[in-house]
Amino acid sequence: MKWLAVCAGVVVALLTWGFWWVEPAVKQPIEYPHKTHVEKLKLACTSCHQRAEKDAVAGRPPTALCLACHSGGETESDEVKKIRAFGEKGEEIPWKRVWRLPPHVFFPHGTHVVVAKLPCQTCHGAMETLDRPPARPLRTLTMNDCIGCHEQWKWPEATKEGRPGPVSVAGGRRIATDCNACHR
Amino acid sequence: MALWGMVIDLDRCTGCQACVMACKAENNVPAVGAKEARRGRIISWMQVLTEEEEEHGGEVKRFLPRPCLQCDNPPCTKVCPVYATYRNPEGIVAQIYARCIGCRFCMAACPYNAKYFNWYRYQKEAPGQNPDVSVRSKGVVEKCTFCHHRLQKARERALAERRELAPGEYVTACAEACPARAIVFGDLSDPGSEVFRLARSPRAFRLQEELGTRPKVIYLTEGEGRG
Repeated sequence: MKWLAVCAGVVVALLTWGFWWVEPAVKQPIEYPHKTHVEKLKLACTSCHQRAEKDAVAGRPPTALCLACHSGGETESDEVKKIRAFGEKGEEIPWKRVWRLPPHVFFPHGTHVVVAKLPCQTCHGAMETLDRPPARPLRTLTMNDCIGCHEQWKWPEATKEGRPGPVSVAGGRRIATDCNACHR
Repeated sequence: MALWGMVIDLDRCTGCQACVMACKAENNVPAVGAKEARRGRIISWMQVLTEEEEEHGGEVKRFLPRPCLQCDNPPCTKVCPVYATYRNPEGIVAQIYARCIGCRFCMAACPYNAKYFNWYRYQKEAPGQNPDVSVRSKGVVEKCTFCHHRLQKARERALAERRELAPGEYVTACAEACPARAIVFGDLSDPGSEVFRLARSPRAFRLQEELGTRPKVIYLTEGEGRG
């Protein structure tokens, strides 16, 4: 009976291999409160993640950008002191990456933020409610999350003038379900 | 919609292999090592095929650069059981590595031997690789994709600037690298493009046309005075 239980345990463990795996927690160098900056101070996400509107990667803020607000005056906050220490040493804050897409996915932030005008929360979850930096992504994205939006769009029908090119169709909203549009 | 194609002028090709190396660097094509190479597992998305002179052995008579020919009627896509390879609306025969199960049916179906299998994990992600192209894992088939990551990027750039994709903005690495300008890349559906004009040249031919694969890589024969 005991052996049976052990065998059953092993079988269950093997069958669900990987299912119980959670991503290791990420500890950021600064205990950055998104809530204070986004909800209280009404800063836009892109005021710190500056490359989100231009580049493929949103990027994390450089020290100088934090110091633009946090350099002047007295402070009692240990976290702000840490930023100033980084600034005095002329170092960048070693932010750690939390959100990672598989390398075979081409995801340009710029297009999704500027052209599609998606709120960041669509993929990143309610970051503005966090008092501490997230240890793990708030949402686990799968391809279904991408396809869910992309499927709402169809290749346009041909008109008398012929089929419009993908970019002109876009006029702002070109999304496709062609695998090659995102896989690389 | 664009129809991407390539014209390779065999009269201009000097067999210098610049396209081969440019392709390897651009697409993170792994070096498989001597042992694997001896077993015929070299991966080379772009390959310069040679034909030797019959009378003078060892002398190369002809060079023929061979990427994936991006057939309009591709035999490889018809045998894929998982839709990992297919012809996309713009004529590029795509290979979706995340979907590929490594059955190699497509390799058997391809009459041009343009597809390659990763028998092992030949490389890990490392600095120096092109971040725009994913590193293929063990057990998937890979092939020339007409550098479609360049199209992705060019299109995003055009979209950000709210304009059409300009001709010449998307070029494959091999076409860019060719010092003899033997490789011309462009939109076959655009009557103003150079590939459109060259593809209609009397010198134009396609590899194994009789198979009905309708490749979009079109060759221009050598002149009469050569070979």
